[in-house]
Amino acid sequence: MPHIRDLLERNAVSILSRLGANRHLDDDALLEIWAAATSTTDPHLTSCAHCRARFASIDTWLDDIGTDARAESEEAISPERLAAQQAQIFRRLEALERPARIITFPKFTRARGEQRRVVPRWVPTAAAAGLVIGLATGQLFNLTDMLNAPRPATNSGQVADNVPRPSGQPSSNPSVDEAIFYGDADLTARSAQFLSTLDELTPRARDDDRPR
Amino acid sequence: MTGAQTAGVPSREADSLAASAVKALQAEGRNQEARDRYAELVARHQRRAGRIAFHYMRDAAEADEAVQDAFVKAYSHLSTFREELPFEVWFTRILINGCLDRIKARTRRERWLVSMPESSPAQPDFAERMASGGPSPEAQLLARERRQQVAAALAKLPERQRSVFMLSHYEGCTSREVSALTGLNESTVRVHLFRAIRKLRTLLGTDAAHQGLAGEKRRVNP
Repeated sequence: MPHIRDLLERNAVSILSRLGANRHLDDDALLEIWAAATSTTDPHLTSCAHCRARFASIDTWLDDIGTDARAESEEAISPERLAAQQAQIFRRLEALERPARIITFPKFTRARGEQRRVVPRWVPTAAAAGLVIGLATGQLFNLTDMLNAPRPATNSGQVADNVPRPSGQPSSNPSVDEAIFYGDADLTARSAQFLSTLDELTPRARDDDRPR
Repeated sequence: MTGAQTAGVPSREADSLAASAVKALQAEGRNQEARDRYAELVARHQRRAGRIAFHYMRDAAEADEAVQDAFVKAYSHLSTFREELPFEVWFTRILINGCLDRIKARTRRERWLVSMPESSPAQPDFAERMASGGPSPEAQLLARERRQQVAAALAKLPERQRSVFMLSHYEGCTSREVSALTGLNESTVRVHLFRAIRKLRTLLGTDAAHQGLAGEKRRVNP
């Protein structure tokens, strides 16, 4: 019986090994091996020539991409470019350590003295002093009183009466006012009498409407 | 080459020493000496920085500016540099962030501008090329087209996948180094790298992609 079991086991191993030999790693598996850099230790890859060849083609393809990219970048970075870049880096580093430069506001072409009139300091002082002196003098002489003071008599009384008086002031001569008032009333009465006489002489409209 | 290889990384000890010295000189106010010492670091990392910036920007002038900005920024912020982290990693992070910022700004700008046809670099004339024994015009044209296709496909990758692919494949960084540079886990780096390559193969539709056996989508568990 052990002999039969051994035979069966041997057969099973043989079938499995043949099945294993026909199986191959798919692309993703190969890429995983590449990414993990385990191609030398992968048991299937070491035993399967077909997968090894496919892995080699993937490896070559990726190598080509890498070589191309490196060549392109090396072309772009010439030694002159590197030297210029280094110089520029150190210029910038030096500039970092210098204090910031203050840029002055652009000046006008004309000189300052010509375009701007200088006012001496004593001018505002003198103006203020003048104002104070003026006020003080005004207080001292009381100009209002001077204006209201009685005037000396003039030769011509008519001229004196024509001088305008400040409004609100009572008349200094009451007889003159009465004469003016009553004079006006007399004038009114006389003009009324004259107007009634004139009215008698004038034909009326109702007279014209009367039948003739 | 099998997968990501270790790059010829410049001596980290020398970098750390130089960075510490510059930091100390800056603190003492000896700026001229600090700059002189910093020149060592610039000279050591400039070419690699230029390559990385060029891979990102795809324009020599813009890459140039990005590198300058990164070095100036690194110098002015050297006081925040921690010695336990390699200078290369710290500086490359500054550079990559600067490049990504520039790409964002450029994308915003291009939204409002009509793009001009790309000017091809000055080519030597036919007689010169034949005399110098360089590649034939056809080969050059094909190479240029291939580069443009790869660049266009790379530009379509998500930002992280692109960064991981460029750092690990173009710059030859290991997963651990890419992890340190990008702040991602090592396993995440490998996943991003795998996805990046798979997408690139789909986008480029290369012969290699077609060489895969049509019916072989089975997976053998090792």
